[in-house]
Amino acid sequence: MMRAGKLCFVLLLIVSNASGCWNLKEPDQLAFDVASGMDITKDGQFEFSAQIAIPAGIGMAPEGGGGGKKDFIVIGSAGKNIYDAIQNLQTKVSRKIFLGHREVILIGRRMAEQGIGDLLDEFVRNPKSEMRSRMYVVKNADAKDILSLEPIFDPITSTGIVNKQETSGLKKYYFRDFLSDALSQKSAIMLPAVSLTRTPTYLYTGNAIFTKHHGLKLAGFLNTQESFYANWIVNKQAELAITSFVYQGNGNVSLHLESVNRRIIVKMLDQQIQIDVRLTGKGSIVENNSSLNPATPKDLQIIQDSLNQSAHASIQQLIAKAQKQLKTDFFGFDESVRQKYPHQWKTLKSKWNETFPDIDVSVHVNLQCKNMGQANSSIKAIP
Amino acid sequence: MKLSGAQIFWIVATIEVVMGTWLTITPAIQTSQQDAWISMLIAGVTAVALSFFYARLSTLHPNQTLVQFSKTLLGKWLGGAIVFPYFIVWITLPAALLRSFGDFIHLVFLDRTPVSIIMILLIGLSTYLTYSGGITGIGRFAEIAGPFLYLSLILSFVLNAINLRWNHLLPVFSESGWVTIFKGSLMPASYLAESFTLLVIVSFMNNPRNAPSQSMLGVGMVALMVFIATFMTILVFGPDVSSKLRFPFFMMVRSINIMEFIQNIDVFVIFVWIFGVFAKLALYLFIGSYEMAAWLNIKNWRKTIWVGAAGIFILAYLIPNQTFIGIYPIYWMYILVPVCGIGIPLLLWSVTVMKKKLAKSSVE
Repeated sequence: MMRAGKLCFVLLLIVSNASGCWNLKEPDQLAFDVASGMDITKDGQFEFSAQIAIPAGIGMAPEGGGGGKKDFIVIGSAGKNIYDAIQNLQTKVSRKIFLGHREVILIGRRMAEQGIGDLLDEFVRNPKSEMRSRMYVVKNADAKDILSLEPIFDPITSTGIVNKQETSGLKKYYFRDFLSDALSQKSAIMLPAVSLTRTPTYLYTGNAIFTKHHGLKLAGFLNTQESFYANWIVNKQAELAITSFVYQGNGNVSLHLESVNRRIIVKMLDQQIQIDVRLTGKGSIVENNSSLNPATPKDLQIIQDSLNQSAHASIQQLIAKAQKQLKTDFFGFDESVRQKYPHQWKTLKSKWNETFPDIDVSVHVNLQCKNMGQANSSIKAIP
Repeated sequence: MKLSGAQIFWIVATIEVVMGTWLTITPAIQTSQQDAWISMLIAGVTAVALSFFYARLSTLHPNQTLVQFSKTLLGKWLGGAIVFPYFIVWITLPAALLRSFGDFIHLVFLDRTPVSIIMILLIGLSTYLTYSGGITGIGRFAEIAGPFLYLSLILSFVLNAINLRWNHLLPVFSESGWVTIFKGSLMPASYLAESFTLLVIVSFMNNPRNAPSQSMLGVGMVALMVFIATFMTILVFGPDVSSKLRFPFFMMVRSINIMEFIQNIDVFVIFVWIFGVFAKLALYLFIGSYEMAAWLNIKNWRKTIWVGAAGIFILAYLIPNQTFIGIYPIYWMYILVPVCGIGIPLLLWSVTVMKKKLAKSSVE
């Protein structure tokens, strides 16, 4: 009798523990936040917007017109900080807001201008927050505007925004990477930006630059072309395409680079820092409108030289823009100097912003056409 | 109650690895930044050397636990008094562990479960294991759970391979220098020096001659895992972020994301981690109550288990908050390890050697 009683007690204990039911929230009790937006409203308040997926709506596309359910809603709420805003947001939603599936964090224009350096803590400290998200800056609108857009391919906008990173040839850049850039000694960092078009839809518009000396504030934007090169230098680009006019062949040639690499060589001569940026890329020719035939070694060399020159010129222009116009080192050269000359860096660190515009930066580009595609000489209609 | 060599190995490897990967990484990175992995190597070598010393000292007194041989060496009163600090360790360490892990589970997984319930489950199960199985039961448990624990660790390393950013490691050495790197190795070394529990458990071995080699292997394996965990934490988050994370290894497990498909495996890793916590609680409960019985000359050591379990639970329950527990590692590093891990063992060892010499000369 005693034994049976003990056994029952143990079994009861096992069942109640193994199931873990008391701590369970069924998915139908949760509101899944798939994308979060951070904005400053027109009257200067912090606003947090959540794009919340409506599972019942997804997969039930309205057939032949008819009102199906929407796939998501976007709800915004003001607050003193992120968690306060989420608390306020919760009052508007009947289900518990669940942040664990957040894929995207968007930063509105005004928010970026005001600085996001003080709003990073919640993402790490709150165990319910999610660090695997990708980050974007919105160039010409609020984050909320982008989130509310009608998606094209996917049921929810956030999926498309995530995919934008890969389709733009960028390497995966998660919130944790952003965080380690933000806390490192780099004086400026870049985040990809999207902008709202009149259609309305969104497009990838290159990088936003944040400077750190006043708490991660927006310092400017690069256009898509500049961003490809800038990302190449900071090793965030996985692939890219370069199109340039080949003078000798009187036409354009496009090279799709499947693997790009970079090396930043720092030298110090008489207390003068010299930076050598060495970029290499390998790829195949995907379009050739010139009269040159890449099947012949001589013409191939001409094409390669011409592409190298054109990339070289663009990159030098970009570096000049960084040094003279923006006066910000968003290439992470400071980090390279620190890694090579840690002792000298201690004195250089405080005046890097003044030093950077006058630093001697040289660029070497080495592009190789490994494959000429499915044609030899250009396919052209003969006049 | 007997232990095999493999069981000693797995006991050491299981009880030390959880705290090692969980609590030592942040302090090391805070001190020596991106060079923390070098600190971990130094800490590992130190800990392996120390564990050799403990096992050796224990084998000099075959079939006698710490309290027993301390009493035979120094007499009933002095020998009894000198082991008192160990009882502080055997109560406070499991209490701090129980509360920390309870708080951690409460924070991350079971947020609507009171911490006390989580702690009761853990200590209850440990009490059961200790009571019914004694050291043999704990050894067998470690033999089974240990390999799973290590498998989960290795899996979490492998799955993180694509998240590594190698430039986080630079510049190597030149920013910190030897002094800083040694300072950074103190905290992890003090955690790994926890192997002074060997002073008690080696006496239960079938074949004590294996004790030094098996315990060195065990501590070495823990040190290797802690080293890899530190190295990878630096490579995934960079030193600046990891020094601010309280549980960087856990965060690293959380950042596993392979093809947007293998995600959120932290639950499984924690599931296996609990085995380690559980084995550790059970072991300390065993050592505490067995030695308490030896100390107070109580015949049946199982009677003291209840006192130990209740004491550990109440102490854990009374800890006001996590900030308070934050003091414990400092107290551990500056007082408990120097006293219990170095001071007293050295004293006992020198008395042993002297007595042997005296015995020899008196024979001659």
